[in-house]
Amino acid sequence: MDRRVFLQVAGASGVAISGLGCSWLFKKPEAKPVFSTGIPTTCELCPNKCSVLAMVEGGRIRKLNPNPENPKSRDMLCARGNAAIQQVYDPDRLKQPLIRAGARGEGKWRPVSWEEAWDYTAKKLNEVKEKHGPQGTLWASTEGFQEVFFKNLGSAFGSPNIIRHPSLCLASMNLAYSMTFGTVPSFDLLNADYVIMAGANRFESIITPDTMDLIGGVMERKAKLIYLDPRFTVTASKADEWYPIAPGTDLAFILALIHVIIREERFDRAFVDGFTLGFEQVVEHVKPYTPEWAEQETGIRATDIIRIARNFAAAAPRAVFYAGRRSSWYQNDFQMRRAQAILNAIVGNWDRQGGMVPNQKVPKGEFLFMPWDEPKAPRVDEIEKNFPLAAKGDGVYLPLRENVLSGKPYPVKAWMIYKQDPLHAVPDQGKTLKMIEQMDFVAVIDIAMSDTAWYADVVFPESHYLERTDPIEVMPGIWPAAVLRQQVVKPLHDTKPCLEIVQGLAKRLGLSDYFDYTIDQWIEAEAKDLPVPNGLEHMKKHGVVAFSEPKYGATRKADHRFVTKSGKIELFSERLQEAGQDPLPKYSPPAKVPSGKFRLVLGRKATITHAALTQLPWLHEHNPENSLWLHPESADRLGIQTGDLLEVASSVGRVNIKALVTQEIRPDCVFMLHGFGKKSPWLRAVHNVGAADAVLLETAWDKVSGNAAMHETFVKVAKV
Amino acid sequence: MAKKLKRYALVLDSKKCIDCKACVVACKAENEVPVGVYRNRINVERSGEYPKLRTSFDPEQCHHCDNPSCVRVCPTGASWQRKDGIVLVKYDDCVGCKYCIIACPYDARFHHPETHTVDKCTFCVQRVDRGELPACVETCPSKVRVFGDLNDSRSPIHLLLATRRYRVMKPQTGNGPQLYYLL
Repeated sequence: MDRRVFLQVAGASGVAISGLGCSWLFKKPEAKPVFSTGIPTTCELCPNKCSVLAMVEGGRIRKLNPNPENPKSRDMLCARGNAAIQQVYDPDRLKQPLIRAGARGEGKWRPVSWEEAWDYTAKKLNEVKEKHGPQGTLWASTEGFQEVFFKNLGSAFGSPNIIRHPSLCLASMNLAYSMTFGTVPSFDLLNADYVIMAGANRFESIITPDTMDLIGGVMERKAKLIYLDPRFTVTASKADEWYPIAPGTDLAFILALIHVIIREERFDRAFVDGFTLGFEQVVEHVKPYTPEWAEQETGIRATDIIRIARNFAAAAPRAVFYAGRRSSWYQNDFQMRRAQAILNAIVGNWDRQGGMVPNQKVPKGEFLFMPWDEPKAPRVDEIEKNFPLAAKGDGVYLPLRENVLSGKPYPVKAWMIYKQDPLHAVPDQGKTLKMIEQMDFVAVIDIAMSDTAWYADVVFPESHYLERTDPIEVMPGIWPAAVLRQQVVKPLHDTKPCLEIVQGLAKRLGLSDYFDYTIDQWIEAEAKDLPVPNGLEHMKKHGVVAFSEPKYGATRKADHRFVTKSGKIELFSERLQEAGQDPLPKYSPPAKVPSGKFRLVLGRKATITHAALTQLPWLHEHNPENSLWLHPESADRLGIQTGDLLEVASSVGRVNIKALVTQEIRPDCVFMLHGFGKKSPWLRAVHNVGAADAVLLETAWDKVSGNAAMHETFVKVAKV
Repeated sequence: MAKKLKRYALVLDSKKCIDCKACVVACKAENEVPVGVYRNRINVERSGEYPKLRTSFDPEQCHHCDNPSCVRVCPTGASWQRKDGIVLVKYDDCVGCKYCIIACPYDARFHHPETHTVDKCTFCVQRVDRGELPACVETCPSKVRVFGDLNDSRSPIHLLLATRRYRVMKPQTGNGPQLYYLL
């Protein structure tokens, strides 16, 4: 694989001069001399899956560099991606299978052979199955290329209880856009001229290509960025306008924008007439939601709302209200996302350059394996009954935990966990600990001793992404790609890829027939339908197949049927009405902050992924400890100064954390970074350092999607 | 025809910097810089009163000056400058006297806790000599950095400096810094 040399990069990058925005991204490097080589693979340090080139010297990974061939990763590698080397050579990483030797969480471990770990786990799973049926086992995972094998083992074992991460993340957004457009689109920030972004802190919470496209847009093309957030984030610092909106009132702001755009007839009438359903109901629905009313709710002046609405509509179709990811904020989250979808729809930005674009996909083949019988029992989270519109295969995490704790509708006594740390990922750590306690058996597959692994009975060490080969992953988008993650170095320790861990268990559970293949056979089948000759060879050599030319407008044809009930874009949703939910987003104000308390808000940082990576030295030195952000007004009132040790308490937990007095937050909110206050001593840099937000967060969820609502917790703050 | 000498320099569009630390970590990885010391950094400046706040980020490292004071003060000749402008330290000749650390107006040098010599950004000379970009430049997510040869009239940095307004840090020192910040 050739690496581009800088003179060529340079030759194509007259960006700033020509004012052509980021068009350089898609110029192919010319075939020039090869200066150094690397093994192409795919980063796993966050969900972006950027293409990397691994430089290996003497069997040791020396450096990871960006692979410019993948347009989605925009020829870059972030701090986390660069730090992946430190995960491989981390002296504290999991090096062999472990079985608990003391009490849960006591930290006494017995290193065992793979055979013993598999035998013991299979025995425990079979015991639970005999007593409670296969539905007595729970299989929890976070997305990854090998997650499919783990989930399949749970299903083949007969459990309906597969629980994934979306209901802790973006389930409400996914559902809201799907209910409206029949699909979740991407946002063409490379070409948008006007972007409204609420809370999606794109310059600290990196998403490719959105982060790179937006910074280019704002700084080079002079696109307008309107940013709403209770915190003055890096994104706020780059925005043209920042509004520290009253938390939980985004829906009021959006409804008022729709109100103004309709009242002043600034919507795209031809598009609304041709492609949408229920516009008349929207017109009636938003009448009371005036900018003056919204000013009272949001704290954003009516004149600003009117101006933003006008500019947004004027810039359309190159204008988007950006959806964002981690949309787990408030109990009305689904409806707030629905309002965004409606606002985007009525200005006609659908499937236009600079607007919202339905995703393209790179085709690939499928490996056909022997199917198993569908699990017979209903899901323990009762998703069909309580969240009929939500994605059944992903489950709803918080309702699930409530049911497991109550033992209703049935007991769940074994918990298998892959690549997830529920003690930090799920609000209310105390409850999650109780959930662990009531399990007869808990096993974790991971690369590091997470807090949840620390409380498990068996820990299976997975090989690091640079030590294994994964299935080919298709990433839909405006610049869609299919990527391969291939082994760069041999496993350093006695670890295995998830598939082999699953196969060891399957053999002992009598399920071998369903997993009777190798990763090479799997990939070979997938590579067959890739849109390049010699697909597998191409993937091994380049790591990626991508479409670098966006396509716009394919769904704007009169006969196009959207994947909704009516075949149109559903502004008014009959399906929601039938499910007993508001067919149009109705506003109800958020709970008021009780006097003497603060609303706890969460957010991301570019050197941390979820609650992980904080222990890696190259990342840790930038965030050695988290602290509680407090506005000076609030700090003065409580006699708090930066560095003071605080006690922060919610109704479910209390933590000690140091104060950071800063103007960069609303006076009624406090904020802390995720990923600290770890219980596992094998994460030594963050063990008992700072505090874990999960301890404080209360259990609340969005009514429609079941997505966790993580900004509904109020805390009391006092100096220790 | 004699080949024209190269003059390497770095142009930075700081407005695009999002303080993500990719450059800092890439540098650590490429140059095996220990934890706690840095060959490059991002200067952060905060100002204003809530809610009228401002934050700016300025990435900085060795300015590879035309007239480097670190080279002038070095008693052993360990600090030296290549013909292409890259300022380096010969680690074998460095006695760790730290004169250069004091002489540098940009605080770009540090005492390496393991080698006990002075250390600094080398523009990733090992990569540049292979025809590659410095690690910080190649990895930068928001493409703040443009590296190249100022003496090549077709190079993007030459064109950028010819067509855009820019500033350098502390020009009054007479060091002739070669990190150019676009305005």
